[in-house]
Amino acid sequence: MSQKSHLGQLSEHVREDETYYLNMGPQHPSMHGVLRLLLHLQGETILECKPIIGYAHRAHEKMAEFRNYVMFLPNTSRVDYLSGMISNIAYCQAIEKLCSLDVPERAETIRVIACELNRIQSHLLWFGTFLLDLGGITPFLYCFDDREEILGILDRVTGSRLTYSYGRFGGVTLDVDEVFLQQATAFLKRLRKRFPMYESLVADNVIFRERCDGVGVISKEAAAKYHVTGPSLRAAGVAYDVRKAEPYGGYDRFDFEVPTRTAGDCLARFEVRMAEMEQSCRLVEQAIAKLPEGPIGPPKLIKKLKPPKGEFYFAVETARGSSGVYIVSDGSDTPVKLKLRTPSFSNLSSMPEILAGTEVADTIAIVGSIDVVLPEIDR
Amino acid sequence: MGYVTSIAGGFKTLVTGLGVTVKELFKKPVTLQYPHEKPELSPAYRSLIKLIRFDELGTHDCVACMQCVNICPSYCIKIEGGKVEGIKRKRATLFEVDFALCSVCGLCIDTCPTTTLEYSRLYDEAGYDRNWTYDLLAEYRDYEPEFREKQREVEAKEAAEREAKKEAAAKAKAAAEAKKKAAEKTPEKGDGDKKGGDA
Repeated sequence: MSQKSHLGQLSEHVREDETYYLNMGPQHPSMHGVLRLLLHLQGETILECKPIIGYAHRAHEKMAEFRNYVMFLPNTSRVDYLSGMISNIAYCQAIEKLCSLDVPERAETIRVIACELNRIQSHLLWFGTFLLDLGGITPFLYCFDDREEILGILDRVTGSRLTYSYGRFGGVTLDVDEVFLQQATAFLKRLRKRFPMYESLVADNVIFRERCDGVGVISKEAAAKYHVTGPSLRAAGVAYDVRKAEPYGGYDRFDFEVPTRTAGDCLARFEVRMAEMEQSCRLVEQAIAKLPEGPIGPPKLIKKLKPPKGEFYFAVETARGSSGVYIVSDGSDTPVKLKLRTPSFSNLSSMPEILAGTEVADTIAIVGSIDVVLPEIDR
Repeated sequence: MGYVTSIAGGFKTLVTGLGVTVKELFKKPVTLQYPHEKPELSPAYRSLIKLIRFDELGTHDCVACMQCVNICPSYCIKIEGGKVEGIKRKRATLFEVDFALCSVCGLCIDTCPTTTLEYSRLYDEAGYDRNWTYDLLAEYRDYEPEFREKQREVEAKEAAEREAKKEAAAKAKAAAEAKKKAAEKTPEKGDGDKKGGDA
């Protein structure tokens, strides 16, 4: 057979007539978003995997070039819609650093509370959908019950459940009140009670362990090669967290740990995320205790700004890893180029190497465990 | 033997998990029966924008400054307006928002210099056509001529008052100057007295 494959050259050790292709996605119930994996299979073993992206492309970066800095604000929550608060505030922090704007301490602390709640929410959603991929529907429902609480709490102050647009240059839009703090504290108490339940329902479960233990190992070397960041990197044993490595937004004022595991498999990534949720709980608690009085933004709203000429990069830790904003400014009120570094993209790029040699049935577990958000990859 | 223990151990974890779900079975359901029960809207709920009716004006205070039009990232606001005879401020004659394009970011509300914009409590939006353009001035249109008439009167009155004040101020100033002149003369007298005392 001399049929040319659309993957180009086939691996040499494969005889063409014994292999076949399988399109996993873009419409697949277990693919998070519209990711398409073109799998080249021999029996059930994956020989090659080619992620094909671009189905959710909305040209966010191009839009930035036609809008001034303020007008790009709502876009930022929509790039990574699961940690919309963190990306939104990251953009504000980048602009603040670029233009040397001051942020009142109260606004900074509110941002920490909101971002960490958002991180817990994102991890909870990952936890639920990951188990859904593995075939467990029940934990998904429990997670969404918890997640709904966070969305409700954030909805009360921001007015939105996912696409927050809460940050403004130099502060936040609305102030938090006593009720918000009470709700957040009550939620943390509730979530802490739920952790042992998740432990006995999921982490100890024999089916779950069998499907995750030793599956999809991303080694330290592979992680470094593909710039894998976030929980996937920490599961490989590298304690890199932007919040610790390059503290921003007042994170250096708080006491928290960077949980790591050494195995680098799906189970390790699961454990790291669970431990991270506990650390986020600690952060929120400390921030609530430390919340000072004062203004929540600049005295006069910034409607237009002209950053100094030059190039600038600013990175934060979202729920998926290091997310960066790269701005090229020519001194006008519109960026010449605004590049978003999204962690999912780098994490996904490690997949061809990790998936080669594994079974089809593990694909879902592995791709699910690195927690990709497709709109973030395509932007 | 290891095989049997692992099966037994695995079975135990399954039973533990089942225990959790059984416990949950007797808890109160958390589901909101949506069409029958309505969720409570958050106080900060973001939806279509609307014009605030100010009590002292009896109507909105949109001056058609176009700041919201210029800052809108979705380009979904359309405003027309201009100068009205006898009124100091401009008035909007058209204020349309295409809600299909709106991304409810709130930049227009933040930027409004007269703070006449806020979020409405519009909820449950669904329909059979693609036209989601809302005319925000609809409820104000009937009152507008009356408002303009009133505003003209108020401003004319204010202008008259200002004139009167100006006149009064001018008079007062003249009086004060006259007094000052008189006062300037008096210290001289005092000085003279002092000198006299010294001598």
